[in-house]
Amino acid sequence: MNWPGFSALIHAWWFLLLIPLIVFYFLKLRRPRMEIPSLALWRQVISDQRVNSPFQKFKRNLLLLFQILLLCALIIAAMQPYLSSGTQRVTNLPVLIDTSASMGALDGPGGKSRLDEAKERVGKLIDDMLPDQQLCLISVNSSARRLTDFTNNKRLLRESLAQLEVSHVASRLEEGFRLAQALSRAFPIESVMLLSDGNVPQDVEFELPFKLNFQRLKVGGANIGITDFNARRSRTGWDVFARVEGSKEAKTLAEYEFKQNGQLIKSDSVSIDGTNAERLVFKVSTDIAVSLELQLKPDGFDSLDSDNVAYLDLPKPRPLAVYCPIEMASIRSALSIIPDIDLFPGSESTPSAVDLKFADGPLSPGPEARLNVRVGFVPDELASMIEIESGLAEIVDWNRTAPLLQHVQLLDVQIADQPKLAKGISERDFELAGYEILAQSRTGPLILERSNDSRLDIQFLFHPDRSSLIFRVGFPILIQNITQIALTRAALADARAIPAGTLPPRRLEPETEFHVTGPHGFTDSGKSDKDGFLMGLGAPYVGTYEVTGGAEPLRFGISLIASHESSMEAVEKLNFPEVSVSATETTVKTDEPLWGWFAVAGLCLLVLEWWYFQKKPAGMPG
Amino acid sequence: MDNTTQFTSLLENSTLARVERMRMLPMRRRTNRSRGEHLAGKGGTSTEFNDYRDYVAGDDMRYVDWNIFSRLNRPYVKQYRHEEEMHVVILVDASASMQFGDKFLRARQLAACFAIMGLMNIEKVSVFACQHAGTTPLILSPCTGRISMKRVLKFLEDIPPGGDFPIEEAVEAVLVQHRGRGIAVLLSDFLTFGAMDRPMNMLFSAGLEVFAIQLLSAIELNPELTGDLRFVDSESGQTLDVSSVGDLIGFYHEHLNGLQEYLSTLCRQRNGRFIHLDASLPLDEILFDVLKRKGWVQ
Repeated sequence: MNWPGFSALIHAWWFLLLIPLIVFYFLKLRRPRMEIPSLALWRQVISDQRVNSPFQKFKRNLLLLFQILLLCALIIAAMQPYLSSGTQRVTNLPVLIDTSASMGALDGPGGKSRLDEAKERVGKLIDDMLPDQQLCLISVNSSARRLTDFTNNKRLLRESLAQLEVSHVASRLEEGFRLAQALSRAFPIESVMLLSDGNVPQDVEFELPFKLNFQRLKVGGANIGITDFNARRSRTGWDVFARVEGSKEAKTLAEYEFKQNGQLIKSDSVSIDGTNAERLVFKVSTDIAVSLELQLKPDGFDSLDSDNVAYLDLPKPRPLAVYCPIEMASIRSALSIIPDIDLFPGSESTPSAVDLKFADGPLSPGPEARLNVRVGFVPDELASMIEIESGLAEIVDWNRTAPLLQHVQLLDVQIADQPKLAKGISERDFELAGYEILAQSRTGPLILERSNDSRLDIQFLFHPDRSSLIFRVGFPILIQNITQIALTRAALADARAIPAGTLPPRRLEPETEFHVTGPHGFTDSGKSDKDGFLMGLGAPYVGTYEVTGGAEPLRFGISLIASHESSMEAVEKLNFPEVSVSATETTVKTDEPLWGWFAVAGLCLLVLEWWYFQKKPAGMPG
Repeated sequence: MDNTTQFTSLLENSTLARVERMRMLPMRRRTNRSRGEHLAGKGGTSTEFNDYRDYVAGDDMRYVDWNIFSRLNRPYVKQYRHEEEMHVVILVDASASMQFGDKFLRARQLAACFAIMGLMNIEKVSVFACQHAGTTPLILSPCTGRISMKRVLKFLEDIPPGGDFPIEEAVEAVLVQHRGRGIAVLLSDFLTFGAMDRPMNMLFSAGLEVFAIQLLSAIELNPELTGDLRFVDSESGQTLDVSSVGDLIGFYHEHLNGLQEYLSTLCRQRNGRFIHLDASLPLDEILFDVLKRKGWVQ
């Protein structure tokens, strides 16, 4: 049995008020005077032993008893009593609520969503919150958003909780934990509560600095959904692939409709048996940009609607625009054998922007490009870290899995440019400068890569013409890899459905305000930078979005495309780098505050005392 | 009550007319030697035959039954019942406690009725009114006959209320002044701190048959009170704080019944009568219904 506790024991001093209460009661007791013929009988009554029994005495001072009880009830209420749950109490508790797509899954036909269940649990937590406890509600999906500061304002917490909605994005818990960690700098945090259905990545790249209470909700019901939707460029157009998966319980038939620019291209049915994925293949022949839509219509109950539709935007097919100065003859020679490439400078005028640009010097002229390959010099930002000397450099290692160096053998390549690191410079300094080392010699890096959302720079610190690389089979493969990267970045080689979260960056009119409208009344706005790149616009729901503000409106189809969200498989535990946290489905026990009961009792006693005091003694003359 | 057409302000003329034809019925004949309307147990000079006895020397020859003598040849004296006078003493409690409700009015009305019954039956009637303790009661000296009726009624009408004379002391004060056997009518609420044993014994010893009538008002019979009250004694001004009066009403009734039982026992043991009446009852109902049924009057 857990004994009640008091969270504001200091208010027990108010019990001293009982002394003046009792004293003043007897000092100020005013009784209505009533003249009667004789006191003879009443004297006998008062002298009666039965009248002077303890119980009768108690009844005779009922008003005083009411006042004492009322005062005690109010003081105890002020002392904030609570019934301890037996668990350790926390003062500041961040509550991470998973709002990823799977939290919208229903537990049955007409049932409630996982988020509704999470809201009920958090609502109970808010109701049972003690005055010295503070909650901070954090919504976690692919990002984290703090709904409230640490507060004990129940109204504010309930309002924030009520406004919480499911986002059609995959879970990424790290953001939520990092936000909680950031909060711990301002508030002492011992424990963090996570409410999730368990459809989250099991491995979390985060060092837990606090205890984690992983409250796992029951997973949703049977579900099937589209977990992948992509297209690859073919000679005749596009090969479109879609993967349809289901949860373990899902054994059903589903019809699907494949639409191109809103027009039905194909309609068929697919049988889903548990977690065995079904692959759908379509061929699309087009010479213009098209929007594809794949929609599933399950026959039976489907717990999650947001993964039943996927969108894919295919760009207009065009050759890859590559700029390579005339002086870089070896590279131009390798590029010339690759099909579907417009090589500049050439017979046609050079456009202002290309997909791939080669440069052999820091002041190399030419158009803007998303992929810049610079060879044979040290860029200004690295000039203080490394310099190139004449000498033979020996490659000792390279990143064989990097797209640039796939199938490229650099062993025994003779390089006449020898990098030399400045004093005190290590590989870590290049990482801090944003570069990734792809190839390393004994004396320093030879190939570096720097990437951001809109631009990729590949830096060769040697010139291929001063190496034996151009005579190796790997050289045309290297150039082929570069063009493949360029094709990918220009979305010319393949296309993938855009997952919900944020809209993909686009280069539009510079420094222009753009507005986004999407499904569920979603709106957002943003401004492009001076280079015209528009980034970071939100797209939390599955559906089509329209970006206006530029010369022409842009349309995006946003899909869920998250296998673990559609699978409805809950993880048993979360694996952190050093610890694992098991999930529990039992409802968290909280200390139950009792002050409300005492306040109600005080109110009742007040009303009772008022009635008793105001009651006119019967038989009294008017 | 219209005094201009009424013989007295205490009684309706119709009531008065009926009362004049009524008489008290004492349980025992307690009479005085003086001639009166009540037949005494011993031989007397009335016309109502009582018994015979042997003639003895010195007897009045006029009472010898000569018809018997002629048949039996022995003288027998014929005896007649003796009609003696009965003294009716009426004690009206005029203390402050009698001012509640209709108690004082009803006490004076009943006193008037008993006095008229006595007067109309050629009894001696004396009336005492007790007010303030330590003082001599107001006295209407013994009177008799219809001629005294106006005087008696006037005395009763003029009794001023108020005072703190306890009934037990009032009885003793009356007995100091009174001589004669008969009936003592006590009209009071009997709400006193003292014991009634001694005055009852004194009345009995004085040859007075007690007609004790306890008159109570509604607040004494059914005190519907609740809450915390400070009671003030109407006579002494003393106070008594009582909490949760409503819870004590049951005890009050028990003690009231105990008092009435006590008074009834005292009277019964001394060949007296006791009755408690609600003063709010109509006088006619008390006289012609309650007291008649109880055998107090006829």
